[in-house]
Amino acid sequence: MSSGDVALDVEGDTERWNVVDAVRETLAQEMRRDDAVRLLGYDVGPIGGVFRATEGLYEEFGGERVIDTPLSENGILGTAVGMAMRGERVVPEIQFMGFLYPAFGQLMYSLAKLHERSGGGIEVPMTVRIPYGGGIKSSEYHSESTETFLVHTPGVRVVCPSTPAQTKGLLAASIRHPDPVMFLEPKRIYRGEREAVPTGEYTLSLDEARVVREGEDVTLLTWGAMLEHAETAADSVDADVEIVDLVSLSPLDVETVLDSVKKTGRCVVLHEARRTLGLGAELSALVNEYALDHLHAPIKRATGYDVHFPGHQTEDAYLPDAERAEHAIRAVMSYEF
Amino acid sequence: MSHWTEVRPSEDFYRVLDADGRPLDDPPDVDEETLRRMYRAFVRSRAFDAKALSLQRRGEISIHAASTGEEAVSVGSAAALEPDDWCFPTYRQTAASIYWDAPLARTFAGLMGAEPETVAEHLDDESNPAVNFSPPYIPLTVNVTNAVGSAMADAFNDRDTVTMSYVGDGSTSEGDFHEALNFAGVFEAPAVTICHNNQWAISVPTHRQTAAETFARKAEAHGVPYDRVDGNDVLAVYEKSREAIERARNGGGPTLLECVTYRMVDHNTADEDSVYRDEEELARWADLDPVDRFETYLREAGVMDDDEMDRVAEAAEADVDEAVEAARSVPRSDPQRMFDNHLHGESWTERHQRAELRREGMGENPFVDFDGEGFK
Ligand SMILES: Cc1ncc(C[n+]2csc(CCOP(=O)(O)OP(=O)(O)O)c2C)c(N)n1
Repeated sequence: MSSGDVALDVEGDTERWNVVDAVRETLAQEMRRDDAVRLLGYDVGPIGGVFRATEGLYEEFGGERVIDTPLSENGILGTAVGMAMRGERVVPEIQFMGFLYPAFGQLMYSLAKLHERSGGGIEVPMTVRIPYGGGIKSSEYHSESTETFLVHTPGVRVVCPSTPAQTKGLLAASIRHPDPVMFLEPKRIYRGEREAVPTGEYTLSLDEARVVREGEDVTLLTWGAMLEHAETAADSVDADVEIVDLVSLSPLDVETVLDSVKKTGRCVVLHEARRTLGLGAELSALVNEYALDHLHAPIKRATGYDVHFPGHQTEDAYLPDAERAEHAIRAVMSYEF
Repeated sequence: MSHWTEVRPSEDFYRVLDADGRPLDDPPDVDEETLRRMYRAFVRSRAFDAKALSLQRRGEISIHAASTGEEAVSVGSAAALEPDDWCFPTYRQTAASIYWDAPLARTFAGLMGAEPETVAEHLDDESNPAVNFSPPYIPLTVNVTNAVGSAMADAFNDRDTVTMSYVGDGSTSEGDFHEALNFAGVFEAPAVTICHNNQWAISVPTHRQTAAETFARKAEAHGVPYDRVDGNDVLAVYEKSREAIERARNGGGPTLLECVTYRMVDHNTADEDSVYRDEEELARWADLDPVDRFETYLREAGVMDDDEMDRVAEAAEADVDEAVEAARSVPRSDPQRMFDNHLHGESWTERHQRAELRREGMGENPFVDFDGEGFK
């Protein structure tokens, strides 16, 4: 089990960055470090991406390293795979998760498949950056949290940071990793709180969940932008809450999850994706299969509803927040098998 | 029924040999060594397809898509590549890898359902072909987009390597085809895309695939140069491919080549072509058989005689038989192989599921772990 902020152990200077700063600085650092790193996407060039996550990189590295492409998600992933097969370390950007769907062919057929298909002979090292999630009051398909599609895809990793320091370590690790990584960026916290981030190089494990806060009464499993709600909820309830940030959504760090639930005997999953077959369903199934004896109450899922992501007048009602998490925690605390 | 399945039947394409295999103009400038290798690839490919069909009938392989009748497309185009170039095929271009001496035993073992790791482990001493082949793609048209990415990587790195890929006529209706050509055009990628217009996509004829006059012209929308070639004339395919490859190698960007040919056999061993096409059409195309035309050319040009052709055929049979024996010697894949090569490193889930499978294999109950410790 890993604990605390690994990043804080890194020696040296720090700067105060938010998540989007961390993305940009990490991309720059990795591009300076390795000529094979190329960014690919539309709008990633001179304007620096619609979220400015690639700002300044076109000026520094030029149009063959920061490649503005035609507007074509499938074309981006498809050509990126071809480049990755030829030794490039490609970092494509899908502008919003809701626009990943045209690229599903390339995702399933080549990105996820070629390594296995070639008996390990072909590597597809690639980090697909995907801003995801709600809470930014945007238009249709700009708030999706459909990571389950990705988790259900064999052959790709799915990674999601929740803080600036973690973003840096995880993004650097993803870019250097031989596997394809779907790197989910919780865009709602892109410009959230700044924290001191080490400016030197460091990487964080892609395989380990992070125990954000230790507690004895109930385990709260979450990731991405929901972490801040989890912390608020933990502060507001009359229970000692252990918060686990999953970090890697696929493969899951099952051991950390089970260890925590076995210790606390209660579990709540907090995620903004739809509930049915959301990752909470899998976590709940795992706990049921391997930690039932330790449970004092059923697992509850505080999630979005099984609907299309609603319009922005309604999205606050859809999205789970600290209050929904608190209700779930109180409910499982009130029950005793 | 019309002779051509296209909207506007047309023989308006580039051709070197007439229907009988006689040069329409001065004989083309192709060295004898290349001509011999092309012929050898034709014969080996036919022997390979015939053997694969019989193995399928005997239940040793589950399914096979032959290229009988359209080998000139694969052989002519692949022969124009140079060592270190890249080739992204589908299931229909076995003849291309055969031209470059890909080990047949591996192909047979794959058709027999062995996992790639098992094949590599047991047939490992065979050398790789000089041209780099990706594994053949089953999902249609995905290869073309990947090939353009491969070509873009070469362009960005100032390498003069060329990437070739193949697509069927039906597959030009997929989005990936247009996405690939669009990227190729925008980035001037050294990518040569060969469209195998074999008139049918399983049972769907070409006029149901597009209202465009030719498949080649689809490139126009993407600003990509194109050409249309007699796909049963190996020399015409070779010449146009060589031109396109040279242009790409010299920084001139991509090309789409439509090669007009015909699938003389079922789509694959699970198909029944008599349901959707007639004898008359088959007979017309049988007259244009690429191997017959090439044989006539080789004989009359004095490159090969009947004796030499017989020797090539015998050698092909022997090689194919030997390859089948080698493929049969590959042991059944250990079921645990299915877990290999998904992700680097180990996960709890993988460890656990491997152990469950092992227990199931031993007749044990795999569901008895209640604390996640049992199968670690
Ligand atoms: C994306 C995708 N859809 C459907 C199929 C099933 N399928 C296999 S071959 C084929 C027809 C392909 O026709 P065409 O592109 O003309 O190539 P040909 O087989 O004639 O060489 C179909 C529909 C597939 N392999 N991939």
